[in-house]
Amino acid sequence: MLTSPTWQQTLADALLEAGVEVAAWVPDKRLAPIGRRLAERGVPLRTLTREEECFGYAAGYRAAGGLPVVLAQCSGLGNSLNAIGSLVIPYGLAFPVVLSMRGTLGERNPAQMPLGRTTVATLDALGVQAFPLRDPDDAARIVKGAVAVAEGARVLAPILLEAELEL
Amino acid sequence: MSLNPTDIVRAILEAAPDALAVSSLGTATSALRAASDDGPHLYMGGSMGTALAAALGVAEKRPDRTVLALLGDGETLMGAGSLWSLAGLAPRNLLAIVLVDGHYSITGGQALGVPDVFAGVAAALGLHTATARTADEVAEHVANLPRPGLLEVRYEDRAWPGPSPFVDAPVVRWRFEAAATAR
Repeated sequence: MLTSPTWQQTLADALLEAGVEVAAWVPDKRLAPIGRRLAERGVPLRTLTREEECFGYAAGYRAAGGLPVVLAQCSGLGNSLNAIGSLVIPYGLAFPVVLSMRGTLGERNPAQMPLGRTTVATLDALGVQAFPLRDPDDAARIVKGAVAVAEGARVLAPILLEAELEL
Repeated sequence: MSLNPTDIVRAILEAAPDALAVSSLGTATSALRAASDDGPHLYMGGSMGTALAAALGVAEKRPDRTVLALLGDGETLMGAGSLWSLAGLAPRNLLAIVLVDGHYSITGGQALGVPDVFAGVAAALGLHTATARTADEVAEHVANLPRPGLLEVRYEDRAWPGPSPFVDAPVVRWRFEAAATAR
């Protein structure tokens, strides 16, 4: 019996179709199915030690002419601000990012709340526009648009995996 | 005669003239600018702790090219996790070179305050390692040390290399991308 792909698989497939060549991530349960699908389809999944390192790695990969994606939990954005603010943005190294939102609707861990609440405001303060994904049926469309923004408009393009996706 | 950072980077570039180099902020960027006459390298103007990570990205996109990460010692401490990633990803074309003088130069020469052990840590991670104290040793190890590797260069002449470490970021990126994708 054929099963239709999950939204995570659709999202991964859309990244691949848009030309993404490598993924850098720090493991996360909600991102794992995306990473697994990318790896199954031949996109190397690089597990690094810290989210900031993922942004540094992706910046270098982009500067060398490639198209990476970073997969991270939104709390990892807090770990990455210096790499984004003094490398990715000033050097014009644009790529898509998939941020798994914690600290929002349905969260039960108090430690996740502050960075979840400030994710969009932090990106906004850096001049980075975020693209929320709430409806699983929008996954392919939003990935396509985010990669267009990264490649064409040459700015960092974070897709936020909102809590509604799972509710 | 004691080595200064520009002498070290000059010896590195003579031993690997076609390499793509990524330099960490401060001393490494200034020395690379001086030694390469502003060659098309990826000079970090900030983002302390991410130069080795960026070099990993360059090395994986350009496996056919020799890639060098020129790192200060404070830089290497701040991005220490990337030593583990260097060992884990194990690119066959990347050499990390740590310029060790035991001090944070760009902020006024404050001592590191922690053990300045880099080759020893890298060896524990399974990386190829060496320590150099002269220009000849630097050149020999850059030419011959297997990758992925870490070369520790120890020096005492802490004279500032010269050129400003504050680079014009879009120009750096554009020139580097052209050099990295040229062949």
